[in-house]
Amino acid sequence: MTRGLTAAGVHVPRFRIESSTIGEAWGVDHASGIERKALPAADEDAVTMAISAARDALDRGNANAADLSFVGLATTTPPLAEEELAPRVVRALGGASDARTATATASPLAGLDVLERAVEADGPALAIAADAPTGDPAEADHRLGAGAVAFLVDDDAPVTLVDSAAHSDEYPGVRYRERGSEEVDALGVTTYERDAVGESVAAVVSDLDVSEPAGAALHQPNGGLPHRAGGRTDIDGAAIERGTVVDRVGDAGAATVPLGLCAALASADADDATVAVDFGGGGGALGLAFAGGLDNAPSVDERLSGGELVSYDRYLRERGYVVDGEVAGGGAHVSLPSWRRSLDGRYRLVAGRCPSCGGLTFPAEGACGVCHDRGAFEHVELPREGVVDAVTVIGQGGAPPEFVPQQERDGPYAVAIVRFTHSGEEVTIPMQLTDCDPETVAVGDDVRATIRRVYADEGIPRYGSKATPI
Amino acid sequence: MREAYVIGAGQSPFGSYPDETYRSLFETAYERALDSVDGDFDPDRIDEAFLGTLGVGGRQIGLSGPAVTEHIGQHGIPTTRVENACAASGYAMRNAVSAVKSGMADLVLAGGYEVMTDTSADQTKWWLGVSGETEWERLSGTTFAGVYAQMASAYLDEYDATPEDLSRVAVKNHANGAENPNAHLGFTCSLEDATAAPAVADPLTLYHCCPTTDGASAALVASEEVARELSDVPVRVAASGAASGAVGLFQRDSLTSVPATVTAAERAYDQAGIEAGDVDFAEVHDCFAIAELLAYEDLGLCDRGEAPRLLREGVTDPDGDLPVNTSGGLKSKGHPIGATGTGQVVEAFEQLRGHGHVQVDGAERGLTHNVGGSGGGVTVHVFERGFGGGSA
Repeated sequence: MTRGLTAAGVHVPRFRIESSTIGEAWGVDHASGIERKALPAADEDAVTMAISAARDALDRGNANAADLSFVGLATTTPPLAEEELAPRVVRALGGASDARTATATASPLAGLDVLERAVEADGPALAIAADAPTGDPAEADHRLGAGAVAFLVDDDAPVTLVDSAAHSDEYPGVRYRERGSEEVDALGVTTYERDAVGESVAAVVSDLDVSEPAGAALHQPNGGLPHRAGGRTDIDGAAIERGTVVDRVGDAGAATVPLGLCAALASADADDATVAVDFGGGGGALGLAFAGGLDNAPSVDERLSGGELVSYDRYLRERGYVVDGEVAGGGAHVSLPSWRRSLDGRYRLVAGRCPSCGGLTFPAEGACGVCHDRGAFEHVELPREGVVDAVTVIGQGGAPPEFVPQQERDGPYAVAIVRFTHSGEEVTIPMQLTDCDPETVAVGDDVRATIRRVYADEGIPRYGSKATPI
Repeated sequence: MREAYVIGAGQSPFGSYPDETYRSLFETAYERALDSVDGDFDPDRIDEAFLGTLGVGGRQIGLSGPAVTEHIGQHGIPTTRVENACAASGYAMRNAVSAVKSGMADLVLAGGYEVMTDTSADQTKWWLGVSGETEWERLSGTTFAGVYAQMASAYLDEYDATPEDLSRVAVKNHANGAENPNAHLGFTCSLEDATAAPAVADPLTLYHCCPTTDGASAALVASEEVARELSDVPVRVAASGAASGAVGLFQRDSLTSVPATVTAAERAYDQAGIEAGDVDFAEVHDCFAIAELLAYEDLGLCDRGEAPRLLREGVTDPDGDLPVNTSGGLKSKGHPIGATGTGQVVEAFEQLRGHGHVQVDGAERGLTHNVGGSGGGVTVHVFERGFGGGSA
């Protein structure tokens, strides 16, 4: 059996904040062992980060989303408390409708859980962990980061799953979120919590059929805990170091240990062993042991060293901690069924090629925008790179109300008409710019489409393509 | 086909009148239109009405047209509410002309009304983008200022034009509007004021954008027989050109032209038997400064890229060769969406009868250009002083 990991992809939001910045703002630093962390932009969430990491993994693995038989999404911060989110990711990637999906949300353990399920599945499978936990800004928030990682799983893999082990006991109050709350919390009974994590991690490691792993991604809500828990095992400090990312990404919930795993596998050799062990707040723990190295994994270290540092006031705004997001209703409205009808255009830039003149029309419906004939369009997926033909910046007060909460959080944004070329034919699409300084975008700039949250209507988040400068 | 004539036209003051209703504003415009008729005129002779409104704020979404005609005592006449966004009453005018020319009616009321300043800031935002392409354009995050700003960005990139050229539109139109007692923003502004004003959507500043306005306008369109009976100096509708275009800017071939304006103008010039730009004045749809530049070129008043030159050389000033927006335009007179099209007709009517607030010397022929949204629907009307064949 050589089934295992064939590729990995990573998404780390561009914004970063240093713990010292948060510490200065509050007069106290509650981010032990965390130097800096990632902060999702106002239009990012677990779904958009998952899609980005998944695309990265598919690209690196030269895999086609349509061939996936299983897609698992792990996050403790689903944009909706109840709803299957994995189907959105599958649709955005262009996956098949008969792919099995799983959405796991109960605890950070979900990340390794969907990974094991992907290995247990048949055929090409994708396991994604994407998370952006939030907490009380005065305390828990200090260490909470964000990020996503996706593993492509298939047969004949360079990294194989050699063993898994679990441990469960009742440890309430170690990490939890109350029903209806967005704040992850802990009771703060220090010794009890350390013992809960330490005993659980040690029990799993002792059950895993592996010796002297070269890398170990252990449960890491802060910088100290993986070493403290690892001290109860025979795993050496250097191995734990290779699997520790929390010091640069923050506690990214279900994505932290998988990110650490990705970092460890990228530096592992073919005969190395690597373990990943996570702890779910209530008392469950799961460990996976792998053999081999992943040459085509992205460099997590590189992704964690870049980014754009933000001030604390910018941080509070992007987080949405100081924006209520309430918008009065009225005027134009796009119904959810209408929105769903347009998903192929929004996610994959599917345009229509006219059977009469060959011209392109976007969206792919109605009469041809070029010759105005009404033939059945051939659907073509546009390349994701285009050129800005016209652009403006929408400042405070100029945004349609759907975008007011985003603008309050993220500031002014640019809106462009972007020209895409497919087989020599051109078509233009109106697109919002993201992940850039809006003032710097000019006519003639090259941009790439990326999927972000567009807005939420009647409580339901809606996703589509925005453009980022290349 | 029969000829159609404007024998009366009037508008309410344009401005911010939150305590008025769409019915009371229209009543004022209607009374002024009746007062402008030369002869002794019984309003009961009106056969039909076509009234334009977008219905900003929602208010009476259904049947606001009949609500208006019942309010003004036009009890029982057939009334059609026309919605083509900012070109609503340009199209109401076209419908009225059609009704007269076809012989179905002898005297038709065309008009429009809009109340925009009585809604909260949050509510207003919902409405400002409702006439663009909703599913893609609006949901990329733009309202109209953004879409016209995109056009401006493309125009400034393509041609030898500067943000100062956009400001020249504001300076000229405010100077004209300052003479118009019905103008919403009846004050002058300098080139510096306009260029240094806060950005609304780069490169458009506050002075490059029309205001949101309350107001109403009305025109009485009559057959030749009725015109000869009631009017000393009637205004002949020499042409009613109209065209539709893609509602979203991204759906068009050009970002620096409004194709529907080009087509509507060609049709109008053809009907009127004139060459492009063979008029003594024009009221064009300057909702944003860039729109006036594009209008010059799309209406054939100059070649592509030449609009800035017209402004710099004062060609479109009141004393220039082709005065544009002597009323103050949408920029200064104001833009009560549904009332704008027939509001332009009021200016043409007054100019051709020698009563303009900024009178163009020897005005014999003028055009009005009304655009819905960023170009989804356009009307171009040509008006001439007197009866056809020069027999005034």
